[in-house]
Amino acid sequence: MPPIDFTTFMRNYQDMVYSTAVRLLGNEAQAEDISQDVFLKAYERWGNLQNSEAAGGWLKTVTTNLSINHLQRYRKRWRFFSELTRRGDDDDEHEVEFAAPENPLDKLGQADRRAWLERALAKLPEHQRVPLVLFHFEELPYDEIAKRLKVSLSKIKTDILRGREALAKALEQGGLSHEKFEL
Amino acid sequence: MSPDELEKYIDRMLHSLPDMRAPRTLEARVRAAIEARAAIPWWHKSWSNWPQSVRAFFILICGAAAVLLVAAGAGLPTTVDGAQLGHVFAPVAAFTRPLVGLGRGLGDIIAAVARSLPVWWLYGAAAIVVSLYVMLVGVGAAAYRTLWTSR
Repeated sequence: MPPIDFTTFMRNYQDMVYSTAVRLLGNEAQAEDISQDVFLKAYERWGNLQNSEAAGGWLKTVTTNLSINHLQRYRKRWRFFSELTRRGDDDDEHEVEFAAPENPLDKLGQADRRAWLERALAKLPEHQRVPLVLFHFEELPYDEIAKRLKVSLSKIKTDILRGREALAKALEQGGLSHEKFEL
Repeated sequence: MSPDELEKYIDRMLHSLPDMRAPRTLEARVRAAIEARAAIPWWHKSWSNWPQSVRAFFILICGAAAVLLVAAGAGLPTTVDGAQLGHVFAPVAAFTRPLVGLGRGLGDIIAAVARSLPVWWLYGAAAIVVSLYVMLVGVGAAAYRTLWTSR
C-alpha cells in the first residue's frame, strides 16, 4: 500500500468512523466529538497506521470502545434518574404485529427509506440500540457484547430481540418491508 | 415471524445501510485540534512527549539529587534533641495556638447547647434534614425527567 497523508486517510475513513459512533450513541453532536477523538488518537499513532492494512479495523475498534466508554460514563452519571424513566421499557410487546396500512412512506425513494431506517434505529432506547448495533454492525457475539456492556447475557439477548421487534414494527408501520427495500 | 427469521430480516435491512456522511466540520475540527496540540510547549506535555535529550538530562538530575539526599541523610546525627526540635517548631505553634483555642471554645459551646436541648429536638432536626435531602433528590429527578428526557 503506498504511503498516504493524514488528510487523505481521514477522508477515506471519516464516514465509517462517524457512522459507527452515531449509530451507537444515537446523537450526532456526540458522534462528531467521538470521531474527532478517534482521529486524534490515529494521529498519535500515525507512524504505525500510515502503511497498515488493518487501519480501518483499528479505527472501528477505537470508535466502538470510545463510544461505549462515553455511554457508560453518561449512564453512571444519570443511572439513578434514568431508571425512573426506563421502567416502562420492560413492558414492550413480545409479538410483532405486521399490520401494514397504506402509508405515504411507500412512495419514498431509496435514500429516504434509508434515512427513515436510520431514524428508526436512533429512536430505539439505548439499552436496545447499543447491543443491536454491536451485534448486527460490529458482528460481536452475544457473550462479548454482554462483557463489553457489563450486562448479563440473558438481558443482552432479551434487549436485542426486543430491539429487533421494535425496529421491525417501526419498519412495517413505515411501509418499509424488505420487499420494498431493495439491496 | 420466528426469532431466526426476524434476526435475518433485521440483519439484511441494517446491512443495506450505507455509511452516513460525516459532517463537513469534522476534518477542520481534527486539523485545528492537531494544530492546537502542536502549539503546546513540550514542558506542558506528558513525559513521553519530552525530547530525548531533555529526558536523559532529567533522569541524570534526578539521579544526582537522589545520591545527594542519601549522602546528606547518612551525615545526619542519629539522635534527635527534643528541646532543639521544640525550638524549631515554636513559630508554627505560636500561629496555631489561637486557632486551636477557638476550635475548643466552639466545641464547648456546641456540647453545652446539645446537653441543654431535649432529645426529641435533635431527632426532629435530623428528620427535617433527611426530609429536605429526599425532597432535593425528588426535585432533581423531576427536573431531569421534564427538562432532559423530553429533549
